[in-house]
Amino acid sequence: MDRQQIGVKLAVDVLKLPFQVGTFRDRLIMQKTVYLAQAAGVNLGYYYHWYLYGPYSPSLTRDEFAIAMDISAGMDESEGWKLDDQSSKRLEDMRGIFADLDRDALARKLELLASVHFLIDHKQASHADSRRITTTLERFKKPFTEGDVKGALAELKTHGLL
Amino acid sequence: MASYRHDDPDKLVVDSIHGDIHLTQREREVIDTGSFQRLRYLKQLAMSQMAYPNATHTRFAHSLGVFAIMTRIVEIAKKTGQIVLSHKEEEDLRLAALLHDVGHYPYSHLMERIDKVKLIEEQVKVGRETKLSLDRTGTPYPEHDLVGTFIVTEQDDLLEALGGKRRAKVIANLFGPKRPTENVRNLQLSKLVHSSLDMDRLDYLLRDSQATGVPYGQIDINYLLNNLKVSPSGMVGISEKAVPAAEQFLFARFFMHRTVYYHKTTFGMEEVCRQLLRRLRDQGKYEMPRDAAGIRRLVTSDKLGTFTDAYVDGIIQESTNNDNEVIQTLARSMQGRRPPKRLREINILRSTDDPNEHHAGTTFKMNCRHNLSQLAGDFDIPLEHFILCETPPLRLEKRARLVSAEEAGKIDGKDEEELIKVFVSGEEEPKSLVDISHSLISRCAGLSFQSFRLYVIQEDTTKGEVLAQLREKVKNWDKT
Repeated sequence: MDRQQIGVKLAVDVLKLPFQVGTFRDRLIMQKTVYLAQAAGVNLGYYYHWYLYGPYSPSLTRDEFAIAMDISAGMDESEGWKLDDQSSKRLEDMRGIFADLDRDALARKLELLASVHFLIDHKQASHADSRRITTTLERFKKPFTEGDVKGALAELKTHGLL
Repeated sequence: MASYRHDDPDKLVVDSIHGDIHLTQREREVIDTGSFQRLRYLKQLAMSQMAYPNATHTRFAHSLGVFAIMTRIVEIAKKTGQIVLSHKEEEDLRLAALLHDVGHYPYSHLMERIDKVKLIEEQVKVGRETKLSLDRTGTPYPEHDLVGTFIVTEQDDLLEALGGKRRAKVIANLFGPKRPTENVRNLQLSKLVHSSLDMDRLDYLLRDSQATGVPYGQIDINYLLNNLKVSPSGMVGISEKAVPAAEQFLFARFFMHRTVYYHKTTFGMEEVCRQLLRRLRDQGKYEMPRDAAGIRRLVTSDKLGTFTDAYVDGIIQESTNNDNEVIQTLARSMQGRRPPKRLREINILRSTDDPNEHHAGTTFKMNCRHNLSQLAGDFDIPLEHFILCETPPLRLEKRARLVSAEEAGKIDGKDEEELIKVFVSGEEEPKSLVDISHSLISRCAGLSFQSFRLYVIQEDTTKGEVLAQLREKVKNWDKT
């Protein structure tokens, strides 16, 4: 694991998520988790493009597989490291996003939160304009209603991400 | 060699790979900007000239080559009539190809990746009781394509040459990170830039092969380009009869990585340089940008022209007098072209389906982590003079052949788009080469090659005996 990969593993550990990349759903959860961690100010160093399921980082996909391979080879090099206190605190503050959901529901929720945040962050919509955000998501064939978007905006604000 | 001509040519340049390349006035104006001319001072192959003396060709020449190939792809798309391009869209595509590498760092990927570098003292067990702290409050250096979008959309000379910010954004969006407001049309056009049989690789394999004198990178570019097709959705692929040429292209890339890009001297020198830069950046020396914000400030300022290989060369020169012994040693190794000596190399070729992740490479890494500190002490060599590194895993394609519908559901769309596509007769959209059962690639795409290496920087080159003893000590570290 290189330093960037160690950062990802530590962040996922602080969020108390399993490090799984075996399925598309697992990788979607990982992609959006890292996106939201960065939105919270934990700079893991991944740059996101807009893709079919919202924000996506190709270099993170490569790193996810490399980390998973090292872990299964018994070489979890993150064990000798810890995240700085400020980053750990920021991650602890967003743990509520991940609580009490099965993996399917979590994947859907994270896709929505990350997509809404990305649209606002890239100035494609205002956070006050849930209708515009919903329309934009519809254009990309996302199955989210305006109610979903309003809920996502509220949750992003609760966790200090907007 | 071919002539890459399009409507309304104004000037031409002659390229050693592609022959005549015709340019419109706007293209010439873009090339003439200081922001683009900087690419003349970035070596395409970074440190490879340490092993292959002729490998001094530049990002500038490569960018013109990619531009030439895009010119040809645009002509093919027009001829086949699958995509109707306006004159402006054609020019946007060619400009995106021309500018796709404008954001490269000095020594290319070397400097771009210093945030990933682990120092040896962070890798080996030295009896630490407290954990190392990983500070993620600053943003790591951005990837070069994002740096490229900063330059294209914020440097005045390019904004003027491109005809304003709006157009600059369209072009940056074709080669850089995608934004969500893109319409379907733009996505289609960007696929022309990013597909796996991409112009970038077609050019660099030929150019690097020619410059290094290593023949494995030779590919049949004319046959590949003559058999290119574009689907209605914008996917670029080849006709089925060109499958052998595509297979050879993928093997050429594999062999060039093993031979040139992962060459023991080149890779060792680049690792020394990465470690040096990382240590200097941590020290806050020589005005090296501390994080992404610093990089952005630099590349959008009037100092962009200084951000070339010479920028790193200057840092190396200055740091030979650094008050830190390790930094001095690393810098002198670079300056005097004294590559680190390879003590052991473990090469692994494995199937990505193999559920057993343990292999000789992981055993070697484990043994280095546990025993290197002791070895350094026994030989009275500073631990920081050892370099433990591994090449990125190398595969022919991004995924293996699919054998079940369940596997098909696990594919990441982005990776899928970047696979080489083949138009099988009767089909409007192409399928992936890796899924063509008679292709060699379908049998070999599940293999991954990786090299694990331990080097030592030896200042006193007369101590050949010490080197032999070190090699003897580590020779079985790949065994449990």
